This record gives sequence, structure tokens and C-alpha cells, in this order.
Amino acid sequence: MSQINRREFLKLVATASSAAVLTIPGTARAGAKGKVVVIGGGFGGATAAKYLRMMGGASVDVTLIEPNKTYTSCPLSNEVISGHREIKSLQVGYDGLKKHGVNVLHDTVTKVDPVKKTVTTQGGKTLAYDALVMSPGVEFNYAGVEGDSEELSNTVIPHAYKAGPQTLLLKKQLESMPDGGKFIIAVPPGPFRCPPGPYERASQVADYLTKKGKTKSKVILLDANDSFSKKGLFEQAWKNMFGYQAGGMLEWVPGASDGKVIKVDAKTMTAYTNFGEHKGDVLNIIPPHTAGKIAKDAGLTNAKGWCEVVPMTMESTVHKDIYPIGDACVAGEMPVYPMPKSAHMAMTQAKVAVGAILAKMNGQAAPVPFYVNTCYSTINPEYGFSVVHVYRVTDNKFVYVTDAGGVSPVTLGTKEAPQPVPPIQRKLEAEYCVGWFNNVMADAFA
Amino acid sequence: MRYRVILGVVLAGLLGSAHAEDSIEALANTCNNCHGVNGVSAGQSMPSIGGLPEAYLKNVMLEWKTGARYSATMGRLIKGYSDEQIAALAAFFSKKPWTPSAQTTDPKLVALGKKVSARCASCHGETGASSDGETPSLNGQWALYMELELKKYRDDAVAMPNKQMRKAAQKLSEEEVNAAAAFYASQKK
Repeated sequence: MSQINRREFLKLVATASSAAVLTIPGTARAGAKGKVVVIGGGFGGATAAKYLRMMGGASVDVTLIEPNKTYTSCPLSNEVISGHREIKSLQVGYDGLKKHGVNVLHDTVTKVDPVKKTVTTQGGKTLAYDALVMSPGVEFNYAGVEGDSEELSNTVIPHAYKAGPQTLLLKKQLESMPDGGKFIIAVPPGPFRCPPGPYERASQVADYLTKKGKTKSKVILLDANDSFSKKGLFEQAWKNMFGYQAGGMLEWVPGASDGKVIKVDAKTMTAYTNFGEHKGDVLNIIPPHTAGKIAKDAGLTNAKGWCEVVPMTMESTVHKDIYPIGDACVAGEMPVYPMPKSAHMAMTQAKVAVGAILAKMNGQAAPVPFYVNTCYSTINPEYGFSVVHVYRVTDNKFVYVTDAGGVSPVTLGTKEAPQPVPPIQRKLEAEYCVGWFNNVMADAFA
Repeated sequence: MRYRVILGVVLAGLLGSAHAEDSIEALANTCNNCHGVNGVSAGQSMPSIGGLPEAYLKNVMLEWKTGARYSATMGRLIKGYSDEQIAALAAFFSKKPWTPSAQTTDPKLVALGKKVSARCASCHGETGASSDGETPSLNGQWALYMELELKKYRDDAVAMPNKQMRKAAQKLSEEEVNAAAAFYASQKK
């Protein structure tokens, strides 16, 4: 019997590992048994529920708890405001998940007991879980802007940052704005959901006003931050289309130039910054936000109000067997490459959590996680661009893969001799935006 | 001897865990966001990829990675994947059944497309159901996706590597591009 030395041993292990990754079929999943409760029926929660059943089989009992019978997608809801899309096209019910065998409970979770591993609902139900997926989205902190309130946001100064009635209210306000009117968007301090959202909205609104001939109007972004997602791409489009930085329709006021809105008066329709005041015909005040209330109540949030997770599994760093996903979490190399709060990101996080939950039910190690984000923004149906993020997990840390990812090119050629991007690029990404949307809706809800 | 025992344990762990196969499936799940479960796309600008030839899928992804093939978005994504992962994904999706997508097409355009696409048949097959192991099937592929691809092949400003496809596409008018796409989109088999 020959001895195996250390070097041979390591070589064999390495060979076994790579072979295993690519060829060895696993069979262990079939036996997975357990109860999973999913809180929240947005992109993250719906994907988790569907994939638990799809990959875990019939022996995984999945209950999704969501108060609303219809979900309205936030992605592409700016196109409702500008009139390029009906809100109905963003809506979906939960029949698709039921077909996968997910129990859908239209109720609100009032309490999570991470020790007894139960959740209690407003309707008086108590459900036990082996694993809990926490996908509650965000909660708006109206107190973050003095004078703002939930009631005012529903009636006079909508945030429209959760798609639904406020989206339609903001659309109506835009449509009735006179030529020469002022449309003000107040951007909260980051992190907030959909990082390019406010800037895409400003673009869509400016495009609407331009095409309606209301060219004397102004669209003003009052921003608590000093930079933003896809800045170079937005600014290029704004310069070409809306006279940006040339006294035209669209203006961006960064935090450093007193852009942060701290107070609002809905009666006089005035937004106040530290040193200035801005009267608007439309005030789109987006309040700062944090993880959804139930995540906070369950003790899952950090001092800043967000859930922190273990990169390999998406399990909470606070409570075992709870997996916070989607807009409610923070993860990544803060503050440089945090995972963006996007639908796409929430869905890949959901898939990682599902892999980890099923592996644990089978007494196995969590599979290698893959995190990917793709996020399209459009100025109008002919002009779009994107940002891509790919993350790896190394030494239990999220690592942004710098070889990949990044934004669509602003220009081609060299820095010294830039060449314009072929027009087909913007057209393709505008089309891909719609294709992406139809696919994520199907992947999460059908 | 000691290492042998450890090796046995490690191997048993690797072979017996869900880790192994799940890696490909977990990887492929990230593609589902835009290309659908089993590679059946629900978005008209995004191609279905399940059941396309393994060699074609692998080749296209590698060309995106090196930049030999123009892409608006995919290149930035695929640079995050190793060549081994790309090969595994190509193998994974090629084994799924090809699923033509039901879609509405204009019969007049389809009729014109039948004529226009005669030149495509030698590689793609008369109905777009190709069988040479390298050419992608087109029957029931999304019309909009095929229009956009043909426009990429026609556009001199972007790098598309297949000379034959470039030459063929550049002979087509805008209407003929849409017609060819409509014809293949309408084919169910």
C-alpha cells in the first residue's frame, strides 16, 4: 500500500473539486423536508417561494405571506408616469406561485419569534418555520423630511417610490402641470431602493414635457448625495436632449451645493434645503428609507436600519435560519460596491438563499453562491443603458468582480479621442429593458 | 496513510454533497432572470437559449468575453464567468428542449419572409430548425430578438464576427429584415 504525500493529496483534492463542480450529479436534494415561510411577495419573496418548490420538490412546504392580492412592479413604473406604459402592464397576481404549490396567505405578519421559530399574523395565524425568508422591502421614514407624512404622500406630495396609486397620482400631477411649471424631485441620502430611479424619473419627465411642447418647464433634482448611479450616461443624455448644464429644462443640485431637502410645506408647495427654498408645481419627495418594519421588529437590522447577511448563504448575521433578501439588506464592499437595491439583485439573492436553505435541510454544505445584477434605465423607448454587477464570495466577503460589470459605454475610442457610441447600443438596451422586465416578471411570478 | 484517510473523507464529502451539481444549476439560475427557466425566454427582445447547440452557445459567450463579438450588455456580464463556467453553462442549456414561443406575426410579412429567407436555409434549415450542431435554431425564436440581431449584423459600427451572416444581412432591406424575423418566428417545428 503506497503512501500518499501531501502534494499528491492536495492535487487529488483539487482534481476532485473541479471534477465535482462540472460533472458529478447530486441526488441529495430529493429528500429535503421542511417548512419555509416567506414574508413579502415582491420580486425577492416571490422568487424565493417559487424556487424553493421548483428545486426542493413537493416535500418542502412553502407559505408566502403578503397582504396584497396584486403586486405592482416598481421597475418600469417611471414609464407609467411619462405615459409610455399602462400600470396594468406592471401588475401580477399570485396564481403562478400557487401552481408551483406555494401556499399564499394574504395577511400581514405582526410578529417573528426567532427563538421559537414562528411567525404570527394580523389574521391570528401562527406558523412554525424551519427557515424564514424575510423579503419585506423598505419602510419610508417620513420624519426624515420635516413636514412630510404618509397621508401627504398619498394625497399631495407623492414619493411614488412604491408603485401603485402614488404612481398614478404623480402622473396626473405631471399631466396637469402648466408650461413653465416646476417639477421637483427630492432624492434621499443613500442607500435607497433603485439607485438610478430618481434620475431615470427626471429623464422620463423631461422627455414627456419636451414632447408635449411644454419646453419652458423645469425638472429639478434636489439631491442629498454628491454623485449617482450611471451619472455619466444620464448626463450625456441630458446634455443632448434637455439642455443640461446649459440653462435647459433639467437641473441636478448635488448635496454639496445645498441639494438636500430637509423640510417640506405641502400647503405652499415649497421644499426647503439648509439654505434655500424651492417652490414647485409638483413636489415628488422621496423620503429616506430603511428595511421594512417587520425586519426591524424581528431585531434583524443594524444601527442604520438595514439587515446584514452572511455572504455564502444570505442568512442573517443576527438570527439563525432567517434569510433577509432584497431591498431590506445591505451587503458588499461598503461604500464602494454595495449590492444595489434592485429587483434583479433581490432575485439572485433569493436563489442563493434557496440553495442554502435546501442544502441545510439535507444536512449539506451550502452551494457556491452566485450574485449578479443587471439594471436598465431608459430616457424614452428608444434610448436605454444599463449597469451590470457580478459578485463573488471570497473569505466570507462579498467581492465585486472588477473584470466584469460596469456601465454601458458613454463613449468609445480613447480618452483623448473619444468616439461616439453607435446609436444601436442605446436602442438595443431600451429594447432589452422591456425584455428584461417581461422575463423577471415570469421568473419570479409565473 | 493519514492523508489517505483524510482524502477519503474529503472526496466523500465532495461527491456526496449537493454542492457538486448545484453549482451548475445555481450558476444557470442567474441566467433565468433574463432568459427564463430552462432557457425559455418570456421577453421578446431576449432570446430563448434552452436547446440551442452547445458549440454555438459556448462560442458566442467566449466571443463576448474576448470582445470579438459586439454585445450591448452580455459582454459585461460574461466577463465575470470563467471559461469552465461558460462551457458548463453551454452544456447545461443545450440539453434543455428547444421551445418555440407562440407569438403573433403578420401573415403578409411571413409570406415575404419565406422568400427572403431562402438564402438562410442552407445553414438554418427551411423552417429554422437547424441540425448541424453549431447553427442556432430560429423556429419560434422571438421575432424582435431576431430583428435586432440582424440589425447588429447589418451595422458596420459594431463588431460581429460571422462574415457570412454579415454579408447576408447587409443584402436585406429594413422590411426584409423584419420579414425574415417574422417568418422564422411563426415556425412552430
